[in-house]
Amino acid sequence: MSDENKLSGADEFQDPLENYEPRQFDDPLEQALVEEEIGTIRHEPFTTISPDMPVHEAVKELAALHHACLLVAENDRLLGVFSERDVLTRLAFEYEEIKDRPVSEVMTSDTIYVYETDSAVASLAVMALCGYRHVPVLDLNDNLVGIISPQRVTEFLQHHFEQD
Amino acid sequence: MGLQENFRNEQVRQLEMRDPVVVTADVTLREALTQMRERNVGCAIVVDEDRKPQGMFTESMLVEMLSHGPLSLDEPIEKYMADRCPWVRMDDPIADVLDAMQLKNIRMLCVVDEQNRVVGLTGQRGLMEYVAEHFPGEVTVQRVGQSPYLSDREGA
Repeated sequence: MSDENKLSGADEFQDPLENYEPRQFDDPLEQALVEEEIGTIRHEPFTTISPDMPVHEAVKELAALHHACLLVAENDRLLGVFSERDVLTRLAFEYEEIKDRPVSEVMTSDTIYVYETDSAVASLAVMALCGYRHVPVLDLNDNLVGIISPQRVTEFLQHHFEQD
Repeated sequence: MGLQENFRNEQVRQLEMRDPVVVTADVTLREALTQMRERNVGCAIVVDEDRKPQGMFTESMLVEMLSHGPLSLDEPIEKYMADRCPWVRMDDPIADVLDAMQLKNIRMLCVVDEQNRVVGLTGQRGLMEYVAEHFPGEVTVQRVGQSPYLSDREGA
């Protein structure tokens, strides 16, 4: 195949994005939420526990750390979330019977997560649409790398607020 | 109008508000927890006879209590509640909620009317919904994890 053939048709090429108008944002906060990655929101520190940890130890850990939730993981793989809400809905009246069982039996296992490369607003989407206040963050190899809380999101909002 | 301007100019009444669990001080811990469970709300607001907030009992306080041993479920909630109940007025700017959450680490705020009577509950989720509503495109197209069917859940 000659070089002539290789380039034939090049003149007819039309860039499909040539008329693309980049999105206009009303302020730096909106722009940051859409264009920055979740990785730029503070997602550390976070605490992981083993799925075999007894419920009473997990409750003590939650209380001692003043965390709203703990991530249940094994070898950096997310298995679930054990939260204050799980304590309210699954343990408040049943604690004495369940306290020695493994936390994997009472954790929330259908956890919704985000990737660190998702846009910042994705974490808000999970919180707003799904009602999860704490959203685990994974890297692209599905390893657990952090957690986003509403407080960390507000930190992000305030940071971009002040740049005005 | 940009989001940033909205935070300063729009009022708390624009936030998604939840119907709070409201109890009087003599209600038992068991009854308050039952209502919190049934309504899937993370706190109970303790009010006087005029529905003015006197205190608050939260799921964080429940965790703290359980970490020290079994609960006395039939004691009045007055014995366990925090004496302070963070509140905002309906006409306060939304930026105040943002400040309360970030600076004071407050998760839930009681919303009161001009007579200081409890009319609603807002906080982290209300604020997140408010911001997310500003980005309908981004919010609806995001992939959000492995579970395609969401149960009605708030909290985790």
